Formats: sequence, C-alpha cells, structure tokens
Amino acid sequence: MKRNGPILSLTSILLYCFMYTPIVVVAIFSFNASKYGVAWKGFTTKWYGVLFNNEQALRAAENTLILASASAAIATLLGTLLGYGLSRYWFPRKKFVATLMYVPVVIPDILMAVALLMFYGLMRDALGIFELGLSTMIFAHITFQIAFVAVVVKARMVGMDPALEEAARDLGANRWNVFWRITFPLMFPGIMSGALLAFTLSLDDFVVSFFTSGPGSTTLPILIYSSVKRGITPDINALSTLMVCASVLLVAGVTALQPRKNYHEK
Amino acid sequence: MRNSSVFRLAGLSALLTLLSLALLTVCGGAVFAAEPPAKLNLYIWSEYIDPEIISSFEKKFNCKVTVDLYEDNESMMAKLAGGGSSLYDIIVPSDYVVPVLVKRDLIQTLNKSHIPNLKNVDPQFASPPFDPGNAYTAPYQWGTVGLYVRRKPGQQIDESWSLVYDAKKQPGPFVMIDSMRESMSSALKLMGHSVNDTDPEHLKKARDMLIEAKGRSVGFDGGVGGKNKVLSKVANMAIVYNGDAVRGMSEDEETYYFVPKEGGEIWLDSMAIPSKAPHKDLAEKFINYILEPDVGAQLSDFNQYATPNKAAKEKVNPDDLKNPAIYPSAEIMAKLEFLHDLGDKTKLFDEIWTQVKS
Repeated sequence: MKRNGPILSLTSILLYCFMYTPIVVVAIFSFNASKYGVAWKGFTTKWYGVLFNNEQALRAAENTLILASASAAIATLLGTLLGYGLSRYWFPRKKFVATLMYVPVVIPDILMAVALLMFYGLMRDALGIFELGLSTMIFAHITFQIAFVAVVVKARMVGMDPALEEAARDLGANRWNVFWRITFPLMFPGIMSGALLAFTLSLDDFVVSFFTSGPGSTTLPILIYSSVKRGITPDINALSTLMVCASVLLVAGVTALQPRKNYHEK
Repeated sequence: MRNSSVFRLAGLSALLTLLSLALLTVCGGAVFAAEPPAKLNLYIWSEYIDPEIISSFEKKFNCKVTVDLYEDNESMMAKLAGGGSSLYDIIVPSDYVVPVLVKRDLIQTLNKSHIPNLKNVDPQFASPPFDPGNAYTAPYQWGTVGLYVRRKPGQQIDESWSLVYDAKKQPGPFVMIDSMRESMSSALKLMGHSVNDTDPEHLKKARDMLIEAKGRSVGFDGGVGGKNKVLSKVANMAIVYNGDAVRGMSEDEETYYFVPKEGGEIWLDSMAIPSKAPHKDLAEKFINYILEPDVGAQLSDFNQYATPNKAAKEKVNPDDLKNPAIYPSAEIMAKLEFLHDLGDKTKLFDEIWTQVKS
C-alpha cells in the first residue's frame, strides 16, 4: 500500500481542527466564570449547577428525548417496511414511489417546516385535530426520518446475497421463518444505523421543530437558538457540552454493539 | 403471490401509521385534559422575564405558566399566523411589528377595564405611535440604540455619531450594526433629520455615508456580536442596543455606552394578546400584574432594561436609575424618536440597505 503523503496528513489535520475547534471552544467556555463575556475570568463548574436548577432547560431536554425516541421508533418501523418493500417487491409505479422517497431527503428544511405548519393549520380548521405540540412535532419528524431510514435499509438490502434466502426456502423454511431467521438478522445493522440516523436527525433539528411546536414543547435546539441573540449564558454552553458528550457516547455504544463483520461478508 | 404480500405489507404499515396517529392524538388530548384548567401560555424573548415573577404569578392566581421562546419578531409572527394565535395568550412584540400584527388580525384589542394598572404607565410611553391609545398593547420595557466604546481612564470622548461617520474622529476599529433601520437612523440623525425621514436626497446621502463608513469598519454585526468584539478588543467601538452594552459594562469597566448628542431611536417592546388566545382572562391578569409597581420594578431590576411604568420607576434599583446607559438624560430623551412603519417607502430603505451591504 502507498504511504499517505504529508499534504494529505496536513489537510486531514486542518479539516479535523476546523470541525472540532468550535465544539472544544464551547466546552471550554462552559467552565468560564464570566457571565456574558468572551474574556476568560477563571475556572468554575458552577454553570453545571445552574443548569441542573434551570427548569426550562431540563424540560427542554426531556421534550427532546421524548421527541427523538418516539419519532425514531415509529420512523424506523415504517422506514424499514418501505425499504424492504422497495427492494424485494415489484408493484406498479414502483420507480415513481422510489423517487418520491428522496423528496424529504433533498427538500430544504424550511420548506418542509412551512408546508407542515400550513397542513396542520388546514387540518385543524377542517377536523379540529393536530393542535400544535409534541405530537405534531413527532409526526413532522417522522415525515422526514422515514425517507432516511428507508434509504439506509434499502442500501443494506441491495448488498445482501439473495442466494441465502433462496437456500433457506430450498431447505423448507416458510416465508415467516426466512424473514425472521435470515433476512431480518442480515438487515439488522442497516435498521440500527437507520434508527440512529433518525434519532440524531431529530435530536438536532431546529427548523421543523420550531414551526411545528406548541406551548410547552420547546426542545433543546429551540432553547439554544433563542438564547443566541441575547447573548449565550454559560449554562447553555454547559448544556451543549453535555449534549455533545451524550451523542459521542451514543455513537460509540452503537458502534461497539454492532458485529464487526457479517458472516456472508467473510 | 408476491403482489398480494406487497399489499399486505402496505396495508399493515398504513394500519400502523393510523394506529400510532390515533394513539398520539388521544394521548395528546388526554394530557391536555388532565392539566388544571388555569393555564397561561407566554411567548417571549429569552432572558426577558424574571423566573420569580412567573412563580409568584402562578401562586397568586393558582395557575400554570408555560414559557416558550422566540428569537426574532419575524419567526414569532410566522408561528402566530400558522395557528399560534389560538395557542398563546401573551406575546411581547417589538414596536415596529405591532401594526403588522394588527393588519394581519393576529392580536386583539385590550379590554382596558380589566387592566386598571394601565394608569401606571408613564405618559411618555402611553399611546405610542405604533399603537395609538394603547388599543392593542401595553408597554413592557424600552431602550435605545447608541455607541458602546472602550476608553482609557481620563479620555474625553465627543459623544457624537460623527465618531462613526467622520474618518478623522474614528476611535480605532469599529463595528457597524447589522440592522437596516438602526444603521439608517444613525446617519440620518447625524445630518439632523428624523429617523423616519423619507426624502430621497437625504436617504441617498445617508447611503453614501454608510458605504464610506463600512469601508473603514471591521464589518457588520448584531448587537451582541458588536459588544463581544469590543470586549475582546477586536474593536474599540460598536453600534449596539443599550441592553447589550449594559451587560458588557458589567464585564469590563473601561467600556461605556452613550446615545450620541444628536439623538437616535428609542424602542419599546409591548405585551399583546393573540387574536384567539385560549386563556384571555388570565392574559389580562398577567398584563395587569406586570404593570404593578413592585412587579415592574422587579422586572427591570432583572433585565436591566428601562421600565415604561412610572409607578415602578420609583422602586427600581437606584444604581440602574442613575445609569445613563439604561435611563438617558432628559436632554437626550427629548431627541429620541420611535421608528414608524414607513409603508411603501420601506422599499427605498430596502434598496439602500442592499447597496450598502453588497
């Protein structure tokens, strides 16, 4: 194998600096004693204490977790079914449906958010349902998450050897058994990455959340964003630091849980 | 056979979606029904109300206040238009958006007999030009736009907008404010015109001044950004809102704030009730509560913004009262103007602003 040249190493280092320095700065400032300032006024951990007494921030964290887990769970279920169906079966207009699936992936967030807001408004006037709140946010998140999950699951299915399923059926397994014993375990890493993707998408979504939220359903991204213009208080830095740590742990955990190699790839 | 299972799958997923949908709606409904009846949904800027005022209001009126935050008037308005007007009970819009909210039927008129404390409002802030007769709004907090400057001990500074627009007086690197009306106001005021002037000649002159000053500045930034640049010594001066400056001054005593002697703009945030507010009674009680002398003083002590409440002003922290960054002198007060909605003429400002920024 060719050794990587110094230019490549340098570029990589710069790129990683570019990506991670802002996060490190936020983490450092969460320990700054100064309240509004940019100047360093000494080390303190008191903002973490302030944060845990900040009822609004805690409620936002709770809302964020409920929203992310509920929407990711439903979207993973539906997205997996969609991805499975699209890669295993033929039906009329399949190509059209498959293309349609990419719309939520490429559509600008703001368009989606405003469209959902208008749709909810219409439904509310016509049927009296979809009062803005955590439930409308969950639906909104599911709408864009499904596509991402389906794309990931479909990609996973494409890489699977159909001979394995055929062999199982050849040996007398019925459809149900084939699915649960062969197909599902092979799909599982794809489903997990889809679920994780859906979860993180929900976790840091601001635009769609802002427009579809109602009283009392403020999430962390909304809380953080609305603190920016008045000057970020250090407890928000503390909160962001904790969020980054939680995300890193989550990703590390999922990576550790995943089997390193699947047997058919050996 | 393949086809039929596709339809089974499709049917199954459709069913699941419907089920989860129904479940969520029912759960949502049940949660709302289980809450105590007295609720107030407050939609406000971040860090703009003392949490203790909220809890004392909750105790006094035996209710639960939900606080949601927005970051600019525009997204708050979009939210109201998209159904928020039947969800929130109180909003705190800035002066210039009030006529728009009224025009779009997003806020309702106040029933003044339920808000007797309106009598506490300083005559200076009662019946503002954006809402004659306080038909729709009650004043919340007010402030100014001016210069935030770093000075060495003993240094004399000519408190004038010419610090920005006269190259010879420029006190080192400075930051302009990334806001159309605020920028135009500073140039118009230096020339001795009104901040609401729409004379094309005056506007052209203001544009040239802004473009010239932009070339010497370190760029445009919001109020907080400008303040931070002065604090971190990237710049020596910035055009900012007074609230940002007051926070900055508590960090660094070498910095201070003034409204230039030519005058400038004054802003006033107000409380209003959205057109279909679900808890109108409580909303009126809330406005009345904020206008109580003690509560008004507590609010201003927390925010370090000026109170438009005459009865509360007597109880405000005397240090803040003496601080010209919060309460300018009477002489300056006389030269402050509210921004008016310029109607069609806003186009002129937009064009100029595009030319200045490009």
